[in-house]
Amino acid sequence: MINLHFSGEGFVPPSTNDFNLPPIFENIPWLTKPVLLVFLSVIVVSVFFVLSARKAAVVPSKLQFAGEGIYAFVRNDLARDVIGHDFMRFVPYLFTLFTFVLTNNLFGIVPFLQFPAMSHVGFPYVLALFSFFIFHYVGIRKQGLGKYLKDIAFMPGVPKAVYILLTPIEVATFFLVRPLTLSLRLFANMFAGHLLLLVFIMGGDYMVHDSHMIMKIFAPFSFTFGIVLTFFEFMVQCLQAYIFTLLTALYIAGALADEH
Amino acid sequence: MTRKNEADAYWSIFGYLASGLLFWGGVGYFASRFFDKPYLTLIGLLLGVTGAIYLIWLRFGRQ
Repeated sequence: MINLHFSGEGFVPPSTNDFNLPPIFENIPWLTKPVLLVFLSVIVVSVFFVLSARKAAVVPSKLQFAGEGIYAFVRNDLARDVIGHDFMRFVPYLFTLFTFVLTNNLFGIVPFLQFPAMSHVGFPYVLALFSFFIFHYVGIRKQGLGKYLKDIAFMPGVPKAVYILLTPIEVATFFLVRPLTLSLRLFANMFAGHLLLLVFIMGGDYMVHDSHMIMKIFAPFSFTFGIVLTFFEFMVQCLQAYIFTLLTALYIAGALADEH
Repeated sequence: MTRKNEADAYWSIFGYLASGLLFWGGVGYFASRFFDKPYLTLIGLLLGVTGAIYLIWLRFGRQ
């Protein structure tokens, strides 16, 4: 058993190279599959919600019901419960964010598309930057620049000398760690999930084509696990879209609150 | 509502710990390079964790 003879060149495990997809057309270097999927997601989201809102009736069709369900979820569960008073201002942004991230994540398990654009760290960075500027902007608008920064930097009820220790930590949290964790959490989840699926599907494929009998026998297990993980990924993809939107809402709520 | 507050608390705690370690650990690291005393990195990291835990207590443990 120890000396299993493997035919071929051996299994090449999936790596970060599997995420660097070549341009679709030779002469347009920026047009890669992730870019195309992001454009597609914008079209899909727009068309879905325009269709679901058109011919809106008191007795909703299935499509209208689905569209309104998602909208109501973002408006009530994310915006109203978290931000509270004056939440309607932020619903358009939160709703766009949620549907955009969710659609792009789900592309990771849609047959033939099968690539989550958010596994390229540039996309989450941009989204996190939007959230970052919005929550600081509304905070500054609401409380004025001086008071807003003072509230961030100086936790009340602490001896003055301790501020030397605490203020840098608070400032770093608000201006560096928050946008970074927001984007990296989404990126890392999508990246790892896609890699995990690649391992089991590519591994199963390799085992089927291996000449050794034992490999062929165990190949179905690899595929089965790949399918199980696909369902698991579905859960993670929904959860990550939710977490991203929820944290954005929480940051906005924190910036609007008089004291955090 | 409580579940959302919990999510907020988890990530705030993580954020404070990360930035405490990053900032004061970083200061300690550069101090250790500058003064050529390696233990200063450790002191910086411990200082960062202390500050972060104190902040977490101030924010979530005081009520």
